[in-house]
Amino acid sequence: MTETKPIQAPVEHKGRRGFLPIETNTFDRVFISVVIWIGASLLWMRFIEPLGLSVWICTILCIILGVWIVKKG
Amino acid sequence: MRSNRLGWLLLSPSLIVLFIVGFLPFLYVIWVGFHDWNIFAATRGMTWAGANNYRRLVFDQDFLAALWRTLVFTFTVVTSELVLGFVLAQTLTRQFPGRAFFRTIYVLPLVVAPIAVGATWRLMVIPGFGPIPYFLERWFGIQYRIGTYAEHAWATAVLMDIWHWTPFVTLTLLAGLSAIPREPLEQAMVDGANRWQVFRYITIPMMMPVILTVVFIRIMDALRVVDEVYMLTNGGPGTATTLIGLHIFRVVFPKTDYGYGSAMSLLVLYVTIVMCWLLFVALANVGKQKA
Amino acid sequence: MKTARWRKILGWIGLYALWIALTLFTVLPIYWMFVVSSRSRVQLFDAPTLLIRSFYIQNYTGPLSDPVFQRYLLNSLYIAVGNALLVTVLALFATYALSRWRLPGADNIFFWTITNRMAPPAAFLLPLFLLYTQVFRIGNWTLFDTQIGLILLYCVFNLPFAIWLMKGIMDGIPVEIDEAAMVDGASQWTVLWRVIVPLAAPGLAITFILSLIFAWNEYLFAATLTSVNARTITTGLAEFVTVTGTNWGQMAAVATISILPALIFLVFVQRYIVTGLTFGAVKE
Repeated sequence: MTETKPIQAPVEHKGRRGFLPIETNTFDRVFISVVIWIGASLLWMRFIEPLGLSVWICTILCIILGVWIVKKG
Repeated sequence: MRSNRLGWLLLSPSLIVLFIVGFLPFLYVIWVGFHDWNIFAATRGMTWAGANNYRRLVFDQDFLAALWRTLVFTFTVVTSELVLGFVLAQTLTRQFPGRAFFRTIYVLPLVVAPIAVGATWRLMVIPGFGPIPYFLERWFGIQYRIGTYAEHAWATAVLMDIWHWTPFVTLTLLAGLSAIPREPLEQAMVDGANRWQVFRYITIPMMMPVILTVVFIRIMDALRVVDEVYMLTNGGPGTATTLIGLHIFRVVFPKTDYGYGSAMSLLVLYVTIVMCWLLFVALANVGKQKA
Repeated sequence: MKTARWRKILGWIGLYALWIALTLFTVLPIYWMFVVSSRSRVQLFDAPTLLIRSFYIQNYTGPLSDPVFQRYLLNSLYIAVGNALLVTVLALFATYALSRWRLPGADNIFFWTITNRMAPPAAFLLPLFLLYTQVFRIGNWTLFDTQIGLILLYCVFNLPFAIWLMKGIMDGIPVEIDEAAMVDGASQWTVLWRVIVPLAAPGLAITFILSLIFAWNEYLFAATLTSVNARTITTGLAEFVTVTGTNWGQMAAVATISILPALIFLVFVQRYIVTGLTFGAVKE
């Protein structure tokens, strides 16, 4: 007897569909925001901070983006 | 009749252990990553450093090169293993005398300690008495020197990983192939589809969840390869085979620059988490389409 | 008709040729290691042959009579068995709870366990090293360089795998069996030990053996979280290359010894190893 079931988050997503291409619940959206924030901060430190713009600008932008994602995503 | 308290009581030992050795280090590494901490420096203790460790990290050529190398390595081995595994799994779908025997032998690499895998392959390719360089030189006139040529070391590392993990991919895909119901395949054949069309439009879509599961497990294991390569080449020649795990283990660890090392560990964790999460989303979507 | 038959025969020949070649490719490195372990240093640098003409037993007796190496071997044994026992018992309790009670949030907890297994060990080396040497301490005693430290640590990757594997087995045992026993007046505890454990015994055995193999095989943490007392055979194997880099015969012998337990158990677990490695996602 062979049986396969792919590894999956066992919880049914009771999420909703926003502008993001997948159904997400609040936790997913916070997670996505944090991932984007970390990635953007690192890129900012690499490429933009040497030009003189502080990384805090990036943080503020990311918080705005994060709020938007959590509310509308 | 059954109280939840007993349930939690039975579950709690596992959770406590995983919390102490799994989750606590995770929180701790975040905390240390924002500090300067070098026990051989003048200050000795932890001092708050903000994001300075990360500022240094994004300009660290060695680190970025190792990270990139790891991604290339992961992509190379996972693709090769997937293609090879699929072909081999197809040959195993038929029953034939000796199949069980071949299968048993084939599983062998999966249980060998990674460090011993590195040792066996090192013995295979040592210039001087390893059979691979000896026969390559004798038959084809190729000088195979993993200690000298970066490409040779890289090729050996990839070959070793394929040797080690293709059996796993093959057998998992085989289990998936055996679980596919026969009727759609036969129906398509009756309707005049050729083999390629059946494979492309029926087998692959039905196998998608299994394929993604295999890719998922393989990616996360390939990203963390350390032991084998450490034993095989010790990351050399130069830094040709220094994958990111090895970089942390061999270069960062002995330096006792704990804050910086933590920042590096966290960034590796970040890359792993993002890749795993993307695959999870893919898996969940495939699962939903099927339902 | 005739061509079709020829094609079929060629197909069979191709199939066998492929699998014989694959078997050789799979076995060759391990066989070569064994060959190297049978040769003295002088014999090694003759033209390579795959034949074993004489056996240089000193490669084995040398390390085996060395007290340091004996300690490594014993440590590996203690740690692997201890970890496998701990993991099996914890996973038994945890999966029994997960499968028989509807605990709020249990699905998320179940899922969270597997994320522990995904973490790259290299990223956890440093925090664990710091925790083991500096933070988890009672007076002068720390978890660093102790067997119990490694036993606990290996739960990070063995416990999630064991829980995922055992969950499927537990769910396969009908609840009615528990309930029948409870009606007969058995306590929850008796049900677990007298009814569930015998029924889940094959699954428990597989979990135990696979955990044992994984714990025995681990190198990275064993190398960084121990210094003298709790070193394992895998670290011993790595030391061979750096300390006595030229003594390949002895190194091959030690490597052969280190893969022995896996070889011994291979016959028992080969049908389940894929299930184990895919966290029970693929069953055969």
